Amino acid sequence: MNRLLSADFAKLKKNRFFWICMTGMAVFGIFMKLMDYISMREYMDRSSSLHSMLLVYSLVIGFLTAAFVSLFVGTEYSDGTLRNKLIIGHTRVSIYLSNLITCSAAGLMMCLAYLIPALAVGIPLCRTDDTDFRMLVLMVLYSFFMSLAFTSLYTLAGMICQNKALTAVVTILGVCFLFVASMYVSAKLNEPETSIEISPFAEDGTVTAPRQIPNPGYVRGTQRRVYEFLNDLLPTGQSVTLTRGDTKAATPLLPVYSAGITVAASGIGMFVFRKRDIK
Amino acid sequence: MEYILTAESLSKQYGDFKALDGFSIHVPKGSVYGFVGKNGAGKTTLIRLVCGLQAPTSGSYTLYGSKNTEPGIAKCRRRMGAVVETPSIYLDMSAEDNLKEQYRVIGLPSFDDIPELLRLVGLGHTGKKKAKHFSLGMKQRLGIAIALAGSPDFLILDEPVNGLDPQGIIEMRELILKLNREKQITFLISSHILDELSRLATHYGFIDNGHMIREISAKELDAACRKCIRVQVSDIRALTRVLDEMGIEYNIFSDTMADIFAKINISKLTLALAEQECDIISLTEREESLESFYVNLIGGGNRNE
Repeated sequence: MNRLLSADFAKLKKNRFFWICMTGMAVFGIFMKLMDYISMREYMDRSSSLHSMLLVYSLVIGFLTAAFVSLFVGTEYSDGTLRNKLIIGHTRVSIYLSNLITCSAAGLMMCLAYLIPALAVGIPLCRTDDTDFRMLVLMVLYSFFMSLAFTSLYTLAGMICQNKALTAVVTILGVCFLFVASMYVSAKLNEPETSIEISPFAEDGTVTAPRQIPNPGYVRGTQRRVYEFLNDLLPTGQSVTLTRGDTKAATPLLPVYSAGITVAASGIGMFVFRKRDIK
Repeated sequence: MEYILTAESLSKQYGDFKALDGFSIHVPKGSVYGFVGKNGAGKTTLIRLVCGLQAPTSGSYTLYGSKNTEPGIAKCRRRMGAVVETPSIYLDMSAEDNLKEQYRVIGLPSFDDIPELLRLVGLGHTGKKKAKHFSLGMKQRLGIAIALAGSPDFLILDEPVNGLDPQGIIEMRELILKLNREKQITFLISSHILDELSRLATHYGFIDNGHMIREISAKELDAACRKCIRVQVSDIRALTRVLDEMGIEYNIFSDTMADIFAKINISKLTLALAEQECDIISLTEREESLESFYVNLIGGGNRNE
């Protein structure tokens, strides 16, 4: 296993796409903090908060790791190099775990590639008086767990599908679909319970006072509980929550669900990969 | 005889299709084993099983005496290398980086002998050129170099000369012979290019429709393919008497036909047979090649159709 990890990390170090992703995330981090600072200065005439825009990488990391893991793991099949590992007697479980660990580490490094430059720019420019540092650190940790859940799902797809292009298409389309679904769920959950009705003219022509009426779009009962569960469970739902900086929705359940997804996906992946005929 | 690889009653099924069916093989240590069969006969399937890429449906094989179901098989695999179908190389890496990667996978502590290995396969000059820019022959040789990392003593090559130009074929042949002679590496080479295989192999295995039809050593094959004169006569006993008197080696294989393994004076033979009232019906010079031996063995490809 150590030998495989050594080989996979050496391969990661030489992977051009990985470095493009790292650079892209770093530039994205700096850009977002600077834009946030400039817009706050311009329109609100005050400094932006340190935590503002700091977790936006949660939204991007799902797409980035989908492309990266598909290419990184898929190359083992397309170049046939997976065979070299099997031929000399490495077990399938250790090959799977080595890929999972390497891809997970790459995902976390991409998160850090956003965070570190964003903080480096943000700390001197932004105000910190309204930042709950404990919550911020927790949400960063939750995002790391979410990244692990993403990579474990993509590793599962990459290891059981022997076609690199197909893996890339399936994972990217899959994450797009889940993102749309999660944004819909998040929007439904964030509907206010009541809305304000303002009738400009009453029957007699006089202006009436605005009144609160029940919002028909507000989700209640079992449907709400299902939506909340999906929002917390799905990594895409978590990424929407974290990106919005929703401290109420960012509960300790999120990393528990992410860990569950990681364990389940890896278990299924190893089971299927062990039985797989390699060409 | 000591065998590196043996298999008994080995079967592999893909859905309803039996790629290997009750297959057996015996690869002697130090040999260059030519594994011959037409496309789809089951050559690559056997190689995939032996390399651990796929599991047999039933039956078993042994590698260095370890059965495929025993835990020790993983250790035995460290002593082998293989190039299955296409060379397994990272196309975005140079030859040297590819070897470094394989050295890490194997767990070799030093990269010191990589330049020597590259020189051995004729890739010492490639520098930082990426494998995707290599010619097919260079990729094939890099695949062999990777298979040679860790100094295996058993190498499996699946169609190693497929797609190579004549120069590439010669270089590949010389490399295989060099490794076999100088490093005593046992080879299992699958191919349907029989002429090329006949220049390398010390043993042959003929596979058809997932069955091993026959295993034969090159010496036995040479004997079977000896240059001879096939003669058809009216009285086979008269022929044997005459040939015995002349002290000529022969082989009778029917009531009227025999193969004579010597340069004979046809006139003398004809006169001697005439004295015995035996007529020569036909007389042809024959030299069986590996190709004709193979065609005779599997019945021209329509054996089981």
